[in-house]
Amino acid sequence: MPEVTARGTRFHVQTIEPRGGPAPCSAGPPPTVVFVHGLVMDNLSSFYSTLAWPVAAAGARAVLYDLRGHGRSERTPTGYGAADAVADLFALLDELGHRRPVHLVANSFGGLIALNAALARPDRVAGLVLIEAHGPAERPVEWSEEMLNSLGKFGLVLEYEELAGRLMDTGDRRHGKQVATAEALVNGTTLIEDLAAARPVPPAALATLACPVLAVYGEHSGLAGTGRLLLRSVPGCTLHIMAGHAHTVLREGTAELLEVMLPWLSHHAGTKVPAAVNGVAP
Amino acid sequence: MTAADEVLYEAVQHEVVRMLVEVVGDDFLLETAVGPETTLNDDLALESIEFVALAERLHDRYGARADLAALVAGLDLDQIMRMTVGDLVEHIASRQPAGV
Repeated sequence: MPEVTARGTRFHVQTIEPRGGPAPCSAGPPPTVVFVHGLVMDNLSSFYSTLAWPVAAAGARAVLYDLRGHGRSERTPTGYGAADAVADLFALLDELGHRRPVHLVANSFGGLIALNAALARPDRVAGLVLIEAHGPAERPVEWSEEMLNSLGKFGLVLEYEELAGRLMDTGDRRHGKQVATAEALVNGTTLIEDLAAARPVPPAALATLACPVLAVYGEHSGLAGTGRLLLRSVPGCTLHIMAGHAHTVLREGTAELLEVMLPWLSHHAGTKVPAAVNGVAP
Repeated sequence: MTAADEVLYEAVQHEVVRMLVEVVGDDFLLETAVGPETTLNDDLALESIEFVALAERLHDRYGARADLAALVAGLDLDQIMRMTVGDLVEHIASRQPAGV
């Protein structure tokens, strides 16, 4: 398993090298696209099986990693705040030797990390694709309460029901393992309190984002208002609303997401637009 | 299927099963219990992060000839997980040069 140690922590990283040669008009090294997944039950596989291979086929180097405590990365007792996640990301990129600006593609809570990364190091982030991203909010209090309610309830439920053990007992190995991992993360680390200390990105900060942003939200998502806030506040924001979808656009709307994202990446990162997206048979 | 094909398929299946045991852990999985009809999802309860680990091993072993792009990008995750061990062996074996 490809592991990289950064900031004293072992991270699971998968890199898919660009495929099919460079874009016709590109010069220089291929662009790097880094994928940032969501919290607790999520890991890099949600991007591996959806966007990463098509992005590599478009000529970019796709870098996927499991956040601290998630997937196959080390579960440290502490260090789950947004600032740590941003420091982890850039330390990993340093270890991997990616010192040129990268594009970040983030899903759900990965959006909070990606936004903070772009604000902290505008010299290292060339663009953001935010899919159903948490992070921006006008009023910090409501944002924190909503997020902590959902995560805190989850932790309490896991502890009370000892769900993992019961699932293992019934032979449901996969769900038992997933729940056991989530339980260890929510109840055995400072994840909840670190996130309690996290603050949303307010409109004034969004207005200072220097890089282009593609925001994609589901029409029926509880976060659709966040998408509109991004559009109003970020100077270079494109908003795409996916009709008929809720929060799970990455998994359930992959094809449409690619149709929007690949031309955007082509324009901003210099990757190829796949023939199918151009409406031309391959 | 020719005799040479059969040898190839058998060799690939042996490799795929060995990788699956590595990925899933031999406390759960015995090599003898896995055959061509075994499904990744229902029988092995493979987690998606374990599929990534399997894909990585296939790439290390077979390189570009494993053609993971076709395997992963052509299917959604549910379709991938519905595959049997036999489907996976067929995908790899059909892409190997003759006589290997």
